[in-house]
Amino acid sequence: MFEKSLYDLIRGLRNHKGNERQYIQDSVRECRREIKSQDMDLKATALLKLTYLEMFGYDMSWASFNVLEVMSSPKYLLKRVGYLAAVQSFRADTEVLMLAENLLKKDLMSVTPAIIGLPLGAVPHVINPTMANSLLSDLLPRLSHSQVSIRKKTVVTLYRLAVVYPETLRPAWPKIKERLLDEQEDPSVTAAVVNVVCELGWRRPQDFLPLAPRLFEILVEGKNNWMAIKVIKLFATLTPLEPRLVKKLLPALTNIIKTTMAMSLLYECIDGIVQGGILDSVQGTAEGDEVARLCVSKLRGMLTVERDPNLKYVALLAFQKIVKSHPDLVNAHHDVVLECIDDEDISIRACALDLAGGMVDGENIMTIVDRLVKQLLTAPINAPEDDPKNDRVRNDGMLAVADSDGEDPETSLQAAENITQQAIPLPLEFRNLVIRRILDMCSRDTFANITDDFEWYLRVLLSLVKACPPPSPSSIVEDDVSKEIGNQLLNVGVRVRSMRQEATKAAESLVLLENRGQLFPESSTGGQGVLNDAAWLVGEYSEYLRDPSAVLSSLVHSSSTLLPAETLITYVQAIPKVLGAIGKVQVSPWTEARRSRMSLLLGRASYFLDGLKTHPDLEVQERSVEYLELIKLISEAVLAQAEGTDQPILEAPLLLTQALPSLHSGMELNPVAPAAQRKVTIPEALELEKPIHEDLSSLLIEHFEQDVDTVGEYRSFYFEKERRRLDAVTAAERLEPPKLEVSSYQNSSDEGDSDTKRRQQLERQEKYRDDPFYIGGARGSGTSTPIHDILKANNGDQVDIDAIPIMDLDLTERSDAEPSSRNGQSLTSTRRKPKRDIQILGDENLEDADAGSVDTPRLSSVPSHLDRSKKSALLQVDSSGLGSFSLLGNQGNQLYIEQREAEEKALREIERLRLEMERASIRVQDHVGPPEGTIVRKKKKSKVAKDLASEGTEEVKKKKKKKKKTKAATPMEGMGQQAAQEDSLAPTTKVKKKRRQVAFEEPS
Amino acid sequence: MINAVLVFNNSGQPRLTKFYTQLDTAVQQRLISEIFSLVSNRPATACNFLPLPPLLAPPPNAQKSSQPQPIHTDTPSLVTYRHYATLYFILISTSTESPLALLDLIQVFVESLDRLFENVCELDLIFNFETLHAALGEMIVGGVVVETNLDTIVSGVRTQGKVARRPVNDSRGGSSSGGVFGVLGRGEVFSGR
Repeated sequence: MFEKSLYDLIRGLRNHKGNERQYIQDSVRECRREIKSQDMDLKATALLKLTYLEMFGYDMSWASFNVLEVMSSPKYLLKRVGYLAAVQSFRADTEVLMLAENLLKKDLMSVTPAIIGLPLGAVPHVINPTMANSLLSDLLPRLSHSQVSIRKKTVVTLYRLAVVYPETLRPAWPKIKERLLDEQEDPSVTAAVVNVVCELGWRRPQDFLPLAPRLFEILVEGKNNWMAIKVIKLFATLTPLEPRLVKKLLPALTNIIKTTMAMSLLYECIDGIVQGGILDSVQGTAEGDEVARLCVSKLRGMLTVERDPNLKYVALLAFQKIVKSHPDLVNAHHDVVLECIDDEDISIRACALDLAGGMVDGENIMTIVDRLVKQLLTAPINAPEDDPKNDRVRNDGMLAVADSDGEDPETSLQAAENITQQAIPLPLEFRNLVIRRILDMCSRDTFANITDDFEWYLRVLLSLVKACPPPSPSSIVEDDVSKEIGNQLLNVGVRVRSMRQEATKAAESLVLLENRGQLFPESSTGGQGVLNDAAWLVGEYSEYLRDPSAVLSSLVHSSSTLLPAETLITYVQAIPKVLGAIGKVQVSPWTEARRSRMSLLLGRASYFLDGLKTHPDLEVQERSVEYLELIKLISEAVLAQAEGTDQPILEAPLLLTQALPSLHSGMELNPVAPAAQRKVTIPEALELEKPIHEDLSSLLIEHFEQDVDTVGEYRSFYFEKERRRLDAVTAAERLEPPKLEVSSYQNSSDEGDSDTKRRQQLERQEKYRDDPFYIGGARGSGTSTPIHDILKANNGDQVDIDAIPIMDLDLTERSDAEPSSRNGQSLTSTRRKPKRDIQILGDENLEDADAGSVDTPRLSSVPSHLDRSKKSALLQVDSSGLGSFSLLGNQGNQLYIEQREAEEKALREIERLRLEMERASIRVQDHVGPPEGTIVRKKKKSKVAKDLASEGTEEVKKKKKKKKKTKAATPMEGMGQQAAQEDSLAPTTKVKKKRRQVAFEEPS
Repeated sequence: MINAVLVFNNSGQPRLTKFYTQLDTAVQQRLISEIFSLVSNRPATACNFLPLPPLLAPPPNAQKSSQPQPIHTDTPSLVTYRHYATLYFILISTSTESPLALLDLIQVFVESLDRLFENVCELDLIFNFETLHAALGEMIVGGVVVETNLDTIVSGVRTQGKVARRPVNDSRGGSSSGGVFGVLGRGEVFSGR
């Protein structure tokens, strides 16, 4: 077949629009064939094509050996293809890497500068510690190469060597320093050294202090702005260690700020002054005030005068750094910063938001938060990143598409950067960020910033609920920001006693169904997470409710069953609390009207709870069953009064007025520090490990069998089935008698025998009549309560809430204290209330518990998160090894030198052995080996690689012998042969040693 | 240091990928895709700094640690981009690089390509991706910038071999796509933005 060049491949791609995948697969297949060719040019072309396709995600790791072959080509252009392929495709686990070592060494020693450049560029991509150790000696002489480009690349390559192998610096650092101190050196090389020194510098700034004079000289004299920026960045890490530097540096930096034309340099000067702590060290002096004023005013200028969004962004970054130490300096410019909160650029907004979080205090919190809330409420919800078409990889993997439709790839790149105008929507992520930031600003240090106006804060919380984005389906539930809003509401309610009533009313308005459309985001399910805490508040502080009956109606509404289990649990818990509050109200006499109304409410509550008995969540089940029984009891008590018809009823049943409320009264619930709970000692008598009964399982089985016995003819059916799955059945299930009535498979099996069934049911009912925990059967369960029957008769199956007559409760007493609903109040109203003394509860703690230690044990309990943060990030070059490597002096190096000497001695010994073995092998070959070149067997090259990796066994030896005859087919073969000799003669030689001997020698 | 250099076009097709750490091919593609979706949604008036894509974003708990952070870390923290006609140029770097200077660095890269190809366009880069790598190799070695001078970069690439022009028959509309080069200053590039 006619062979394709890279050019043909790309053209072909462009001519196969819509069918690229097939075309690429064909091409890869072709390349696989071509790359095995003996023709170096063909091989290199195939490799270049593969490298091109690798860019689109087509794996080429299988070709790594061929990469090596092309790299070893004597022709520069082919060599370059090989090196490019190596850089792009070699990974840490590429096996042939160790074979490349000698090739790299050889090319580093080349006389052609262009060839030296290739390994210099490639080594940083493939380096590992052992290789670094071996390449070091070849790299060092390149530092004094006559060509500038070689010298500067060598400096950088040595740095990357040092990253993986810090020992590199021991011989290399003095030479690098020499380059830096040499004033006659080419500026390019100096710049490269400065770049490297800057990278090294922040790890061990103390080692670079001696260089300060020379660096200062470069800063003042240098005409290269890139280099000047790097020097400033380095000085920023040095100044904290050497305060005297500040004095020297400050005039120079001020001078640059005032004179430079380059905005980047100007900005970095300011950044250097801030980061280097220079502002702190000169604070108070006239000079210090001047420099602070200069910096901040320049930054302000970047925000306002220049219309460049990049300058805005970096200026905000600088402000962020200043605000940590000098909030007052930034506060003076809070007007321009707040402008940026409404910037059309989302990155700038995010930055300004962070900054606002840093500069907020009791004075400006209302302005800032109100502005943010307004932004949230007015911006349209939009989530561009959720747009599936933007995510190509997830859909169909990356494809090498020719080029985009309707766009001209010939457009000159220098045509000004594109300008299109479109409105910025507020992405969901950003909404969450803003809401979290507001909550953080307000709640910081237990509401330190909100001095007296908690009503305002409650209003903010309510409007945040409205602004809640819908929880994203991809993220985990804990991410729902509305839960955090609910948590704040709860915190205000619990901690701020004087605001408890207000907080409860806010919670009430959230729980009430009729407010759903008004307070929650339209057309989305956002904000539901707040209901959990709101329900807790209305329950716990039900005495503050404006309209407990309405709250109860909302709680037990049929739509509530759709809430997440977590919220439903709180709902179920809140129902008896609210009922208790309704029952306790003694303002109006216990009349017949009130009584019937009460029984109606009780009926609805029990209907609701009854529906939850079969809820999939166990906790919901348990709680609803628990309270269902209680409410049914009360309901019966209320109904019992009705039977004495003519007697005027004077008192409500005590069960309602006393017993129910007393369940939840008593000690007030106070906030408790997270660590305090664990400090409660476990009572000695409490044994959690000990089984409840020694032979619980057999007891249960026994019980179960008895149970089954009563079912008579189904005995064997159940017995066998149950026995099979006994082990898997949970304890909770075992504790329940099998629900015969609800099992559907049973109904089908006994349809013809309804008499027997009824009889058995009656028997069962009789048996369990006095068992309070038995909730099966028709007896007294929720669906058949008398009140329910009444409701059903009147309203049909679906209870129509609105149709139920509701008596007005006299709440005058309450409404005196509370002027009016605040729901409608304008958000922007910031009228200040007269200062009140508000007491905010802190966390309760055990006496010996110190608050400082709260976090440490808690962190240790979640090691998974910590581990994640410690794990190195993607793309990260881990240079932490440099941190412990001193560049100064030689203290403690004695050990290293001794070790080094020992290593060298060992190496010499190995070399001697190798020579001996080689001689021996020659002797062996003279005796045994067939004459060279008689038989030619072509071997698969990959085989060679595999053999090399394995230890020399007898089998390998034979193969290698054969290989010998194919000598000179490619340079690689010669290498295989040499290795084979060693393998065959000294199978015990270590792999490491073997690698050292492998050479990419050209056949002679 | 610079962690990665990416070039892709307006539809996210990569034209150059250079990662200065060894990274799995699939992860590379994922990262390109994430950055593309970030960058393609930005209006031209927005600033040239991207928020970190999800793959690079720090875990949510990380920033809450109370101990003082050193000024710099090894973690990539800056994604800088520039958009020229049909191509996006992206630099991913750590905090040791200056954001504004990186923007200038991209400009130098594009200008040197323009010199090499005389009125460079996407097609040149598609068909000469070796030259593209060579030019980058003259500027950045192992993630550290070695040269910012336009002339040195261009002559460095030229000594490595002849730079081919794109095939004439592939050019749609011939020379109609006249470059608007000249708007930007030549020579000393870090002269001020």
